[in-house]
Amino acid sequence: MPKRIALTDKIQLDSTDLSDFARQVQFTSDDAQVDVSGFNTLGTNEYLPGPRTQSVTVDFYGSYGTGEVHQTLYTIYKNRTTTALKWRPDGVAVVGVSNPELRGNAKVYSYGPGAQRGSEDTFQVTFMPADAAGFDYFTT
Amino acid sequence: MTKYTVTGPVAFMEYEPGEEFDEDLDPELEARALERGSISKGSHPRKKKEDGNAEADSAN
Repeated sequence: MPKRIALTDKIQLDSTDLSDFARQVQFTSDDAQVDVSGFNTLGTNEYLPGPRTQSVTVDFYGSYGTGEVHQTLYTIYKNRTTTALKWRPDGVAVVGVSNPELRGNAKVYSYGPGAQRGSEDTFQVTFMPADAAGFDYFTT
Repeated sequence: MTKYTVTGPVAFMEYEPGEEFDEDLDPELEARALERGSISKGSHPRKKKEDGNAEADSAN
């Protein structure tokens, strides 16, 4: 896949396509760096990967219509629901090696929309994995 | 399999607004989607814009 301008990404939450209400998505997956250094002549440190922390943060436009952002997200947050999250670069093209889809079961631990006079209504929501499978990329 | 119609303004699964589909949805997912109006059970012809306004008026 060549370089791209992010325009056609697809973000699906709770089976609802919220792509048009999202303007940014950020997936992070970080492994703790555990120091397992022993005494050695060079004095260098040695590490092993520890627990993995993942999250997906999405910038949503605040929207309060039927089946839109608030109705979808607030219910999930309020009821502490586990729901499916999907994101792929090209929402039109099928999932494949050059269009991998990030998937996972997620929970929302914080919900905080707001508003500023004269500005677009946006807020961030961070999704955390709800099971040991975490978030992973799929090509089929 | 249950027949549903996408009644919300955005796609549900891979189905576009107004589209009918048959799926075995997870009961909890179904309940949430029905509650927020993303889908409805059964076959419902897509409403015209005038109907949408009438619906909004009646809600007020």
